[in-house]
Amino acid sequence: MGTRSPKRKKLTVHILRDKLGLKPSKELIEMLKKQNEIKSKIFKAIKQKAKTVPEIAKETGLDTTTIFWYLMTFYRHGLIEEVGKTDEGYFKYKLKR
Amino acid sequence: MGEILERILADAVEEKEEKKYDVLIIGGGIAGEESALDLAEMGFKVLLVEKEPSIGGHMFLLSKVFPTLDCASCISTPRMAAVAHHPNITLMTYSEVKEIEKRGEGDFRVRILKKPRFVEESLCTGCAQCESACPVIVPKEYDFGLRGRKAAYIPFDTAVPKIAVIDIDHCVFCGQCEMVCPVGAINFLQKPKIIKVKVGAIIVATGYKLFPIGRKKEYMYGKLANVITSMQMDRVLAPTRPYNSVLRPLDGKEPMNIAFVLCSGSRDRTVGNPLCSQVCCMYSIKQAQLLMGALPLADITIYYMDIRAFGKGFEEFYQQAKDMGVIFIKGRIAKIEPTENGDIVVHYEDIENGGKLRKAVHDLVVLSVGLLPNPEIAKVFKNVKLELDEYGWIKQKDENISPVETSIPGVFTAGCIIGPKDIPDTVVEAAAAAAHVAAYLNEVRRGGE
Repeated sequence: MGTRSPKRKKLTVHILRDKLGLKPSKELIEMLKKQNEIKSKIFKAIKQKAKTVPEIAKETGLDTTTIFWYLMTFYRHGLIEEVGKTDEGYFKYKLKR
Repeated sequence: MGEILERILADAVEEKEEKKYDVLIIGGGIAGEESALDLAEMGFKVLLVEKEPSIGGHMFLLSKVFPTLDCASCISTPRMAAVAHHPNITLMTYSEVKEIEKRGEGDFRVRILKKPRFVEESLCTGCAQCESACPVIVPKEYDFGLRGRKAAYIPFDTAVPKIAVIDIDHCVFCGQCEMVCPVGAINFLQKPKIIKVKVGAIIVATGYKLFPIGRKKEYMYGKLANVITSMQMDRVLAPTRPYNSVLRPLDGKEPMNIAFVLCSGSRDRTVGNPLCSQVCCMYSIKQAQLLMGALPLADITIYYMDIRAFGKGFEEFYQQAKDMGVIFIKGRIAKIEPTENGDIVVHYEDIENGGKLRKAVHDLVVLSVGLLPNPEIAKVFKNVKLELDEYGWIKQKDENISPVETSIPGVFTAGCIIGPKDIPDTVVEAAAAAAHVAAYLNEVRRGGE
């Protein structure tokens, strides 16, 4: 619903890309790959059970600052929810179903 | 600006028709908005140009204003909407004034670059489906990097106008945004335009820049996640905050021992800014009071050189913070260091206790950054010179009797472009600038009698 098929009409983004010979930089592609890895690790960690940032860090091996930054970005987009808080002052986050 | 946008902007198409307005206002912060509304109410046709995708400037990013603790966005958002809907105001966002030529009194010719959003403004409903579909995440400017935004994004929830923009330099050309847009608003073939206008007078209201605190290396900003700026703290405390609560960026923990370092990049010749920024004492006291409310068990310490509580109600506001339990320590911070668990050690000179060197541990440090001039606008004046003072602020014709007049007759100022000031003073100056414009245009129309 509300989605246009790319097959029916060439997208303007592809017309611009072809006309100007644009392509994303290697750095941007690498960044996107890394982001997808991080997203996948975080989502896997909090899919079944709500966890704090240090708990996610322990499970994924990612650093806490990175995890928190992505969690807050996903929170803004409604992908995760907070589920309670520990006595140490950490919120627990869980993937929304 | 990135390489791809720069390349696209190089092909800007100049519009043939020259449009006419009574007044051009450059800058859509609270100063520009107030001047625009005053002049529009007087019946003048106003063109308001803002370089960002939304008007609002710095004020709508703030949590509350001092000393009344009124909600900043509750005050600024209706003003932003009033500007957008006033029949005498034409709003151009994501646009930059590139050139101004003065041909005579009441006759300025201006060239404005309208950058492409790659989104049709007349079609976009601000539904943010493009944002959800976009796969790329980059730091969000409006939250000073505390969280991410997408490459296709709505600038913020209360943006005016609430229209998406594509950050072409971070686009991977996947087409996801274009495929999901329910109204077909995404258009990557949108061209930049050069728009020519003729105006009778100009108000410059382009505000200030925040001091880049990375220059003060001993404060470790950018190296320690738990050292943040005061603008970041204001975002954390705002209703449109980046986090779900007041949390520290290192690990999302609620901070329980927060320090403010005043005069970070102000009154400091070592970083090239000897001036007082006038607002840092009071906004820090405001943030301290708000933190006491949000985290009642937290310890809040303010390290200061002098508390400059000079405005109406400011001294009472300062005393109120003391009564609430905020700790004030007179002493400049010499060094900031991390501990193993992510806390921060602050080294300071305890001036009121014999000048002894002391250390204190905090779990979040807020650097109260100063304000710097924003002199770039002076470069767009081609055949007349907009004079700056020795620090780079726009020079006033006479600080005492013509504070909003500049070296160019017909060009006026509003707000922080002439020096740091708080919001009430900015609003007063914006009204003064509007009155001066009205007087100038009436005089020109009468033939300068």
